[in-house]
Amino acid sequence: MTKSAWGWVWFAFLLALDIAIPWYVLTSVEKVSGAFLFWTVWAAVAIISVFVILAKWRGVEG
Amino acid sequence: MSTTFWVWFGIAVYIAAGLGIALMARRQLGVGVSEFFLANRKVGGFISAMSYSATTYSAFMMVGLAGITYLTGVGALGFELTYLCGMFMMVFFLPRFWLVGKKYGYVSPMELLSDRYQNKGVGATTAILALVFLVPYGAIQLMGVGLLMNGVSGGAIPVWAGIVVGVVCAIAWSSIAGLRSVAWTDAFQAIIMIVTSAAVLGVIIAALGGFSAFFSKLEAASPGLLTVPTAGGAWSINMFIGLALPWLFFLISNPQVSQRLFIPKSVTAMKQMLGGFLIFGFIYTMISVLWGFGATLLVPGLENADLATPKLLSLALIPTGLAIVVMIGITAAAISTIDSILLTLSSVWARDIHKGLINPKVSEKGELRVGQWVIPIMAIIAFGFAWWAADKTGLNFMIAPLASAASAGLLMAVPAIFGAFFWKRATALGAMVSCITGAIVVLIFQLTGVRPLGWWPGTWGFIVCVPLFVIVSLATKPPREKADEFIGYLRGALKKGNFI
Repeated sequence: MTKSAWGWVWFAFLLALDIAIPWYVLTSVEKVSGAFLFWTVWAAVAIISVFVILAKWRGVEG
Repeated sequence: MSTTFWVWFGIAVYIAAGLGIALMARRQLGVGVSEFFLANRKVGGFISAMSYSATTYSAFMMVGLAGITYLTGVGALGFELTYLCGMFMMVFFLPRFWLVGKKYGYVSPMELLSDRYQNKGVGATTAILALVFLVPYGAIQLMGVGLLMNGVSGGAIPVWAGIVVGVVCAIAWSSIAGLRSVAWTDAFQAIIMIVTSAAVLGVIIAALGGFSAFFSKLEAASPGLLTVPTAGGAWSINMFIGLALPWLFFLISNPQVSQRLFIPKSVTAMKQMLGGFLIFGFIYTMISVLWGFGATLLVPGLENADLATPKLLSLALIPTGLAIVVMIGITAAAISTIDSILLTLSSVWARDIHKGLINPKVSEKGELRVGQWVIPIMAIIAFGFAWWAADKTGLNFMIAPLASAASAGLLMAVPAIFGAFFWKRATALGAMVSCITGAIVVLIFQLTGVRPLGWWPGTWGFIVCVPLFVIVSLATKPPREKADEFIGYLRGALKKGNFI
């Protein structure tokens, strides 16, 4: 698979977690350590993965 | 002196500072359409990041998102962070927009579509989509300013006065030096937004006994707000997808932000823009949601949840000076969004409708003049909508759902944008039919309130427009030569920059 395809797969995986965990795993956890903590950590992971990709970009003439 | 006086004084200082910055930006203004609308594609990383942040984050956050958190709980955090996760797609779209923008000299995202599909009708269709759906979005910003000034002054300042302040500033910031004045004032405003909101959140958390006590009190007082769906029925999966889907693709569907992908001066500036925005967005989202949760503890039982922030700011525990500074921060957030919308709509009208359809032979000077005239006209239309919607109540007239409804319409351009970059077989007719049909579906469901199977208008529009785009494209003839050249160029350039 190309790097681009891996990127799309990773993004789709993140979106699947976005629904699956809060609605099906944490739905009865009425605490800050439930959906609130999940979404905070999940978004941080998404952001870090963008930074990993950005670090590889290099200068190019448009 | 009264709070009302200090509110007006604060607004006056803000306007004076903004005007000063806009006039300084004007000293660097060159000539031409690209200069006015894109600052000649020479914007540095920091200004690009702050401008992108201020344009994206608006009154919606500290008023709308805080309000919907207050009313419906943690699902609001998931919805907003889903948008931020959607920014992952920037690793695909940012370099693509930037590279083709430089190579072909596009001024608006619609011009990109017209050229890629070799049909000006595509640009005009998506331009009209933007004109129709960005008006309510712009109006929401004005409503936010009006509600806030009204709330902080204890009702002494009428909502319409705040709306007028928003309109006048937005026209000024966008007209004085185009993108240069917008971007510079955006950077100034982004700093005000985040510093002031963080300061007041600190006061609120401290008043509630620190983070640990704050969370304990929240779990004790409103446990139902910490899970999805809530006991009250909010944040069903349908509602979540209905609100989050348009937001997920906001980065390419909303031209006022996708146009910004043309402006960084280098790859380093692009990286700084995206990285800076992600950090800003994460912090600002957390502040807005915690703010909304703070309001559930400190000002429970409000009938209109969009008043959660104004009511919070009028509490005795927030020093008046700080409340006014925060009010200015949120006003800045609203104005920094609407001025960008006005500037983008003016460029879209001038380039994609006036030059694209009405008068193809118009000179660059004439095109610019048309764009500059469109700025106040669109501002007045947004003003009218804000005036009409400001006294309406109910979930559909809350700021967050209204904002998402606007983006639901713009979502219909997403298949055409994906097709432009990734699918050589995509055609102009596929793009136009899918945009128009999807937008009609969204408008009908939005206006009638009909939600078959419980799915929201944007979801239905998307369900209709994606297959339509594919089927009509497969049934019609693509602009093969242009597609090969456009996508072929990108393939080589992306490899050179190690983009994915």
